Amino acid sequence: MKYVLPLTHPLLAVENVSITLSGLKILDEVSIGAPEGAVTGLIGPNGAGKTTVFNVMSGFLTPDEGIIRFDGKKLKHIKTHHLTKLGISRTLQGVGLFESLTALENVMLGGSAGVKSGIVADSLGAPWADSAQNKLRAQAMEIMGEFGIADSVDRYPSELPYPVQKRVAIARSLISNPKVLLLDEPAGGISVGDMAELGRMIRSWTPERTVLLVEHHMELVMEVCDLIWVLDAGKVIASGTPEQVRTNPAVLAAYLGEDGGNTDVGNG
Amino acid sequence: MTNFIDYLLGGFSNGAVIALMALALVLVWRSTRMVNFAQVGQAMFTTYVALTIQQSTGNWLLALVVAIGAGAILGVIVFFLVIRPVKNSDSTGAIIATFGVLIALQAGAGMIWGGDPQGFIPPVDNAGLEFAGRIWPISPYDILVLSATAALVIGLTLLFTKTSLGLSMRASAFNPEVARLSGVRVNRMLISGWAIAGATGAIGGVLIAPASTISPNSFDILLVFAFTAAVIGGLDSLIGAVTFGIGTGLVISLVSGYSDSGNAAIVALVLLALNLLLKPDGVFGHHGARSV
Repeated sequence: MKYVLPLTHPLLAVENVSITLSGLKILDEVSIGAPEGAVTGLIGPNGAGKTTVFNVMSGFLTPDEGIIRFDGKKLKHIKTHHLTKLGISRTLQGVGLFESLTALENVMLGGSAGVKSGIVADSLGAPWADSAQNKLRAQAMEIMGEFGIADSVDRYPSELPYPVQKRVAIARSLISNPKVLLLDEPAGGISVGDMAELGRMIRSWTPERTVLLVEHHMELVMEVCDLIWVLDAGKVIASGTPEQVRTNPAVLAAYLGEDGGNTDVGNG
Repeated sequence: MTNFIDYLLGGFSNGAVIALMALALVLVWRSTRMVNFAQVGQAMFTTYVALTIQQSTGNWLLALVVAIGAGAILGVIVFFLVIRPVKNSDSTGAIIATFGVLIALQAGAGMIWGGDPQGFIPPVDNAGLEFAGRIWPISPYDILVLSATAALVIGLTLLFTKTSLGLSMRASAFNPEVARLSGVRVNRMLISGWAIAGATGAIGGVLIAPASTISPNSFDILLVFAFTAAVIGGLDSLIGAVTFGIGTGLVISLVSGYSDSGNAAIVALVLLALNLLLKPDGVFGHHGARSV
């Protein structure tokens, strides 16, 4: 069952956001929202500004103009380390795992903001710090079990096949039980079979969670998204259901233009 | 052969203190990706604080505890007043600034406590133990130093591997941006790293002081040895710092025993040069650990 679009109240949105980096206008009055409980796609040619939108939503960048809106509240800037507390979780292009931490530690880290035993308690090995840590460990083991990667807990990322690393990264972003998931190219580098599985997984998170997805694989986007926004050269050029976007002439033109190589205005 | 064993045994306690200083350097490296050349200056300063406490109360343990607290606080102060303002704009500048801090601490200590070497009374006997009909170059105090070092190394290992703070500190050192995404307050982790390094260095200072004397410059040579051990160990490896800290202590003891103690620093620098030529990532370091 696909979502019916009440677009007026997105859970997470950027409104009229503009950003100029090194003299280049990366985003130009962009307004994009992720309706609660839906899967929203964000697509566009390379350099359209998709990742920049994510960077604004996750506090890596502060917009020159415009605001971020989360759960009805207006924010000029989001502090990155507050994201998990707010209930927003982001995955990165590639896997973004810590190579020097085991798979289990990577997943635990995603939930560590929720267990605050305190620096002093941790340094002194206080019993309540131990029990909080054990709880987090059990939680991480459980979620890794659900993802079918329980046998990888003690391995380091470099020892794991790429699709397993991807699962570890997703497990890390889910352990904090986020309301909103920002997925940055989750299908990059995985097989067709894994992609179908990924699509089912993303759909299974809704409507409890809200998903915003940047993705190049159009089949996946068209299959899982309720709503799609199309960016080109820092501007929103179209939005709507997958059917509407697929047949939109401006979208077709933007993607054809990519082959001419003249739409690259900065980082994706 | 007896000589060899004696020299070797005599090097352990010195090596343990070098290991502690190397650990302090590694802890700062892990949190901030820079070498803090002021580390021994901070340790010298807090050892003077401990000396003052010991002279006025006669309580060695109290002196040690105060030195640990002072070391942590001094580490945080150095980080906030000097490192953070400089490092944002210039990473190399921050390293040079640590030399400035070293000189300032040495000058400050000279003004407060004077430049003359002072003795630090050990809490237990520092004379060699008599056993099996001869005197061995290991004293009860050496055993205390070795035990304290072992306890601290075990404590730090548990902190880094078993606690949420340790996990967050390791993540922050590896990739601050991604750590922030997971809710880690990276700046706090950085400050914790400097505080723990400062406290570790302070323990090293208090432990080494009774073995010789303390003066504003008495720990300078320790910097050479600790830096050598930390670099050969891979700079981001705790186990590397400890292994090569103790190893450096043994080498120094052998070199001093068979030739002259003045040659020890030269041998340390030769080892450092060889390491940089043959295995620039360090023995326990993984590739790229030292790239900023």
